[in-house]
Amino acid sequence: MALVEVKGVSKRFGGLTAVSGVDLTVNAGEVHCLIGPNGAGKSTLFKLIVGLYPPTEGSILFDSVDITKERPYARVQRGMSIKMQAPSVFKELPVRQNIQTALQERLSGAERIAEENRLLTLLNLAPDSDKLAGALSHGQQQWLEIGMALALKPHLLLLDEPTAGMSPEETYKTGELIKSFNAEGMTVLVVEHDMAFVRQVAQRVTVLHLGKIFARGDLESILQDEKVAEIYLGKTHAH
Amino acid sequence: MSAEVFSVFYQFADVFAFLILSAAGLAIVFGMMGVINMAHGEFIMCGAYVTVGLVNLGVPLAIAQILAAVTAGLIGVLVEFLVVRRFYKRPLDSLLATWGLSLIVTQSMLLIVGSAVRGIGTPEGSFAIGGYTFSTYRLVLFGCAVAVLAGLYIIFMKTRFGVIARATMQNAAMAKALGARTGRIYAISFGIGTGLAGLCGALYAPTMTLIPTMGATFVVESFVTVVIGGANVLLGTAPAAVFLAMIRMALNASYGQIIGQIGMLVAVILIIRVLPEGLSSVLVRRGR
Amino acid sequence: MFKLLEGPQTLGRGRMFWSCFLVGLGAALTYPLFADSYDVGNFAYFLIWIFMALGLCLMWGYGGMLSFGQTLFFGIAGYGYGVLAINMGGGSATIAALVLSVVLAMIAAGILGYFMIWGGINGIFFGIVTLSATLVLAFFLGQTAGPEWHIGPARLNGFNGMKGMDPLTVGDFYIEGSALYYVMVALIVIVYLALRMLVNSGIGNVIVATRENPQRAEMLGYDVRKYQLLTFVIGSGLAGLSGALYTSWGQFITPSSIGLPAAAMPIVWVAFSGRSDLTATLVGSFLLLFGFQTITVYSQQAALVLMGALLLATVMLAPQGFVLGIGKLVADWSRGRRRGDGDVIAEAGRLQSEES
Repeated sequence: MALVEVKGVSKRFGGLTAVSGVDLTVNAGEVHCLIGPNGAGKSTLFKLIVGLYPPTEGSILFDSVDITKERPYARVQRGMSIKMQAPSVFKELPVRQNIQTALQERLSGAERIAEENRLLTLLNLAPDSDKLAGALSHGQQQWLEIGMALALKPHLLLLDEPTAGMSPEETYKTGELIKSFNAEGMTVLVVEHDMAFVRQVAQRVTVLHLGKIFARGDLESILQDEKVAEIYLGKTHAH
Repeated sequence: MSAEVFSVFYQFADVFAFLILSAAGLAIVFGMMGVINMAHGEFIMCGAYVTVGLVNLGVPLAIAQILAAVTAGLIGVLVEFLVVRRFYKRPLDSLLATWGLSLIVTQSMLLIVGSAVRGIGTPEGSFAIGGYTFSTYRLVLFGCAVAVLAGLYIIFMKTRFGVIARATMQNAAMAKALGARTGRIYAISFGIGTGLAGLCGALYAPTMTLIPTMGATFVVESFVTVVIGGANVLLGTAPAAVFLAMIRMALNASYGQIIGQIGMLVAVILIIRVLPEGLSSVLVRRGR
Repeated sequence: MFKLLEGPQTLGRGRMFWSCFLVGLGAALTYPLFADSYDVGNFAYFLIWIFMALGLCLMWGYGGMLSFGQTLFFGIAGYGYGVLAINMGGGSATIAALVLSVVLAMIAAGILGYFMIWGGINGIFFGIVTLSATLVLAFFLGQTAGPEWHIGPARLNGFNGMKGMDPLTVGDFYIEGSALYYVMVALIVIVYLALRMLVNSGIGNVIVATRENPQRAEMLGYDVRKYQLLTFVIGSGLAGLSGALYTSWGQFITPSSIGLPAAAMPIVWVAFSGRSDLTATLVGSFLLLFGFQTITVYSQQAALVLMGALLLATVMLAPQGFVLGIGKLVADWSRGRRRGDGDVIAEAGRLQSEES
């Protein structure tokens, strides 16, 4: 069952074509990794899916409904949530209030507070819950944003480079966290450069190159594809 | 040319000149630094008072007007150095700081000079075409507005300062890294902006009553022109002025000044709904 | 519901704060017993403006929308009250005139706000578009001196202002002097507490989240434009309440309470006080109004020069506001004595990060 269908989507900024004729299907229940070198159009594709950019052409379906013309908040209400590439939190608000703002539409009263505490503990933010979000380290802000995305209990979780700025242990822990949410039925689409992380979580992989789909398939076949290695994995294979 | 056609052109030119002259200085400061100078009207007032003062001392009008513009420009450089410079990273605070200045200046002027200053009267001279009489000075104002646009085109497109200024506008940090003295560029740009405000006041001084609060007469026109025109003086402010002048002219002719002003405001509010990035976004298809 | 009176969005909390609040309220309620009626009337006059300041505090400090249009809505409701009270014939109908004129201001705010917010206007342009609208209304009303400008029997009267409306009346009883003072105190307490509850509620969370990062707020599923419009309508409606009360208080309103320099006054009060806190705005605005009125008796221009200087000094020296800064120092000092210096340092860091 396809949860997200991107059909022939292109995005041009003036003379620059960032995404060109992309078809992408994300099936319900999978962890799908989007990889590709810098400038391949991955973040642009994410922003097209959540509606921060209108596509120049093509359409996007979520749960079989055409959402191409919907504003971002309406798409979020349909059940998607995103962690952006650069940490995007409410910097002048306390950590707990960040989570609370994400949770309050879904839960209230004691239930909400319990869920806040659960998420804060899960993300190792409990000791800092009264701090302003802007005072957290870069890695902690990433955690917080992931927490806000999770608080919405989305069907589809979009993570744009979730482990940037994290140590190998933290990265591994993030991977395990994603797998545990996936096990509960959440569909996850991840942009990631860290191949160890991709190996840890990915069930299917799509390679984007120069704004176009370059290859797709299961993890093993992509890793063994020599053309993919040429454009992208060539450098990272060694380490 | 038939008299009716010329009459329409004359009315258009009158409003267009008012919009360009009152907005050009504000637009330059906004375009370069992203700052709206709330004391813009006070620089206009300064230009008007200096002009009238000098004329009353016996200085010929044209020279008095140039000196008034230069005075306003120099005061602007000083204000940039003392106040505005601190707020380039906080544009809203620069708005408040310059508004504070504006209050201090107008009210001090009321205290010191009082409200009544003897005007100098519009320079005589009129001409008639087919039964209509037109004031020559109004056409001079239109000529000045066109000259201001041409002058800005030359300064920003043809001079070394202009190249560096445009580079600074695009990317201040990069321009600085390449050796541009951005602090000085900002000071000069602010000076040009306030100098143009002074010129506006100097040019309109003979046509209106001088009161310390006269700046308020100009600010609505300058604000809405900049809101519609955006950050680019040549590609934004000028077309915005053409557009607003046409609306204003049509309404003025049929319903009078105040309805003209209300209509212009309504047009602006409708336009920001349709074209959130201003008129210049349509004219300059920026690749972003 | 009452626990919303305290929360992360408002600074004053705890038994100490509420004791001070009750002492202040008690003093305000007993004041007319000791003062002569002229002073009470003057006091009521200061209180009129508080609503406008609180409204701006909500929009600017909490919502991040710097509106320069408080006097626009003040004027709409002020003139609205006059027109309605004259046309509906005074008496108890003045209460309806008050309510309707505030509703009128809110509708106007809804229309202007819709075009600006849906048009994506924010930051500097939000200020100058609202100010342009304000000045145009002031110019327009200034042009209405002729007898042809009337709504029913209500003459607009240009710069000389509109007059002849009844003050607020219940039955045969004019609400004036001490009675008006008590009405004002009651309204301020209601508005202040209601705003505290609003900003500490879920809606308040979204309002401040939108100020911080509108894109992230939208990515949590909130249509931020609706929250911004709500904030703008409430904040402007409070300016309208000030306007209607003002006309009722003096039975008189002129365009000069709309245009420059009147439009700058709410900005000065709120900037000086500290826009990010309702209590600071309440206290600071009252102090400034009191000071302003004292100087105005000698020279209005001098008082306005001082206001301009205060605005300039605030942005240069204490961008977060003077009253708020002092309030935080007091809070730190009393907390520091109990909990050690660590909190003070944390709080200082917080102040610093808020300034950037």
